[in-house]
Amino acid sequence: MFNRRSLLAGATALGGVSLLPGLAHAKGSLVATTYPGSWEDAYRGVVAPMLKKKEDVDLELAPLFAMDQIGKAKASRGAPPFDVFVLDPGPRIVAIEGGIFDKFDPKKLSNLAKIPDGFADEYGVCVSAQVVGIAYNPKKVPAPKGWTDLLKDPWASRLGLTGFQTTFGTSSIIEISKQFGGSLTNVEPGLAELKKILPKVAAVGLPAAMPGLFQQGQCDVMYTNTQTVSTLKGKGVDIEFVKPESGAIAFYTTMHIAKGTAETVNAYKYLDLVIGKDVQAALTPAPYNFLPVNKDVPLTPDMPMKSLDEMAKYINHDWAKINPLRAAWIDKFNKDMAK
Amino acid sequence: MTVGAPSADRHFAGLRPATFGTTVLREWQLALPLGLAFAALFLTPLLLLVGVSFFNDEKMTQPGLLSWLTFFGDPFNYKVIGDTLMLGVKTVCTTVLIGYPLALVYLDLSPRLQKILLFIIVMPLLLSVVVRTFAWIVVLGREGVVNSVLMGLGIISEPLKLLQTELGLVISLTQIEMPLMLLPLISVMSRQDPNLRDASAALGASRWRTLFTVILPLSTPGLVAGCLLVFASSTTAFISQTVIGGVRLIYLPLVIWQQSLVVYHWPLAAVASLALVISVLSVIAALSWVGRRSGGYING
Repeated sequence: MFNRRSLLAGATALGGVSLLPGLAHAKGSLVATTYPGSWEDAYRGVVAPMLKKKEDVDLELAPLFAMDQIGKAKASRGAPPFDVFVLDPGPRIVAIEGGIFDKFDPKKLSNLAKIPDGFADEYGVCVSAQVVGIAYNPKKVPAPKGWTDLLKDPWASRLGLTGFQTTFGTSSIIEISKQFGGSLTNVEPGLAELKKILPKVAAVGLPAAMPGLFQQGQCDVMYTNTQTVSTLKGKGVDIEFVKPESGAIAFYTTMHIAKGTAETVNAYKYLDLVIGKDVQAALTPAPYNFLPVNKDVPLTPDMPMKSLDEMAKYINHDWAKINPLRAAWIDKFNKDMAK
Repeated sequence: MTVGAPSADRHFAGLRPATFGTTVLREWQLALPLGLAFAALFLTPLLLLVGVSFFNDEKMTQPGLLSWLTFFGDPFNYKVIGDTLMLGVKTVCTTVLIGYPLALVYLDLSPRLQKILLFIIVMPLLLSVVVRTFAWIVVLGREGVVNSVLMGLGIISEPLKLLQTELGLVISLTQIEMPLMLLPLISVMSRQDPNLRDASAALGASRWRTLFTVILPLSTPGLVAGCLLVFASSTTAFISQTVIGGVRLIYLPLVIWQQSLVVYHWPLAAVASLALVISVLSVIAALSWVGRRSGGYING
C-alpha cells in the first residue's frame, strides 16, 4: 500500500500546496500591537482593510496595553512577537532603554510632510494624541469639576480607581496628588487622600476591567481617556467626559518598528498609511474620536481641543522622571489599597 | 507480548517488556517521550525561573540573593501568600460542601439523568474563562442579577456589594472550579459497589452512619484528587481573582503579573512565582499524603 517514500512524497506535495495560497496573493503580513478597546475596534475595522486594499498586506492585530507589549518583547529575546508597537510616552522611554526598537528613518514616510515637525524621530512616529480626564455617568451623578471632586460625595462612593499600570492611571493619580501638595515625582499626598475614602470607593480594578465595571454600573466615575469614553458611548453607555478645572492631561501615542523584524518594508507601509490623510480622516469622527496628527485632517467640534497647537496648553508629564519611580508607586498602591 | 498476537500468558504480560516488531521496549522507554516533553516544557523553564531569581537587579547583571531578601523581607508578601492559600482553602471547602451532595445525588439518578447532570457539570469547562468571569460581573454587579432580584423582592433597599469582595470571588470560583471537584469524585464513587450500602443498611446502620463509615472513606481518593485540582486552580486563577476580586484583594498571581509585565523586575517576579509554586505544592503534597493514607486504609 503505502511505503515510506510515497508517504514522504505525499506529505511534501501537501506542504507545497499549503504554501501556494500565500504565494499566490498577499504581498506579506504584519503583526502590529494595538490597545484593547476603541483602538482595536478602529484598527480592525478601518486600518486593516485599508492596508489590505492599498498595499495588499495582511494586518494581524495584537491588542495589548503598552507595558504588556514591552514585557512580551523583552521575553522573546531577539525574536520579536510583533513587527510594530504602539506606545505611550512612558513605555516608549522604557522600550528605548531596553533597545527593542529598530532605528527609524522618517524619510521613508511619504506622508512625513503632512505631520507637524518633530512628530517623527529616530525611534518612531506620532500617530495620535490622547487626552485624559474624568468620565462620569450623567444619569447617576452630577458632573465633577475637577480632581478633588472625585474624593467627595456623591462621586467618591461611585468612584472606580485604577493604579499605576497604565499611562492614564499614573497621570491621573499624579494630578490628584498635585491638588493636595504633591508633584510629578511625589504621589504620597494623593495616595493618602485616596486611602481616606477607600472604604466607600465603588471599585478598584485593573485598567482593562474598568470599562466593563463602568458599563455594568459598578462605578459611575473614573479617570480615563477620551477614546474609552467614545467607545462606551458608542455602545449606548451613559458616559460623558470632563476636562478637570486644573487641566486635562495630553500625550502623544507613537508607533515603532521592532528590532529584528523581517517585515520592515511592510512596517513602513503600515506607518505611512496610519499617518496618511485617509486613515486619519476615517478615525477622527465618532465612534472612534481619534485626535489626528495629519495637518490636512481637521479636528471635529466635539473634541476636547480645537487644534493640535492646543496640546501645549494641556498638562504634559515628563516620563523620564516618572519611570524610575513607578515600581515603588505600584508597591505603595498595592499596600495602601489591600484589604 | 507481541502486538497483534494474543498472549498465551496474559496474566504475566505486565511483568514482561512489550515488543514492537523486533524491538524490545521497556516501561521507561515507553515513558521516554512524555519524560522528554516534561523536561523540555516544564523542568527547563522551572530551572530558568530559579536561575533568574538569583539576580539582584532588573537588568539581570548582578547575581545575588537580593531579590529573595527583598521579597521575603517584606511582611506584606507573607500576607499575600497567606491570602492566596486561604483563597484556595475556602474554594475547596465550598466546592466540597456543594459538590459532594451533588455527587451523591448523581449516583442515585437514572443513567439518562446522569448524562444530563454530567453535561451540566462539565458545561463551565466548555466556556472560556474570560466569558465565565465576565458573566459573573453581570451576576454579582451592583446592578447585576442578584441585586436586581433581591431589590425587586424588597429584601434589600441598597445593592449588596458582592463584586470586588472575597465572598463574591469565592462564590464565582466555586462555580468555575466545580467540574474539577465533581469529575474525579463521580469517577471514584461510580466504582463503589452499591451492595456495600445495602449491606450497611441491612446491618442496621442509619443513612448518616453509612455515609460517614462506608461511602465517605471509599470516596476519599476522589475527594482528595478533586481538592488538589480545585486548590491548584483557584490559587492561580489570575483572571477571576483580578476581575471579580478587584485589585484590593492581592494574591500572588497579581504580584507576579505586576513584577513581570508592569515593572519588568523579572528576578522579583521569579521569586514570587517560586513562592507560589512552593506554597501551593506544599499543600498539594500534604493532600496527596492524605490521599495515599486513605488509599492504604481503604485497600486494607
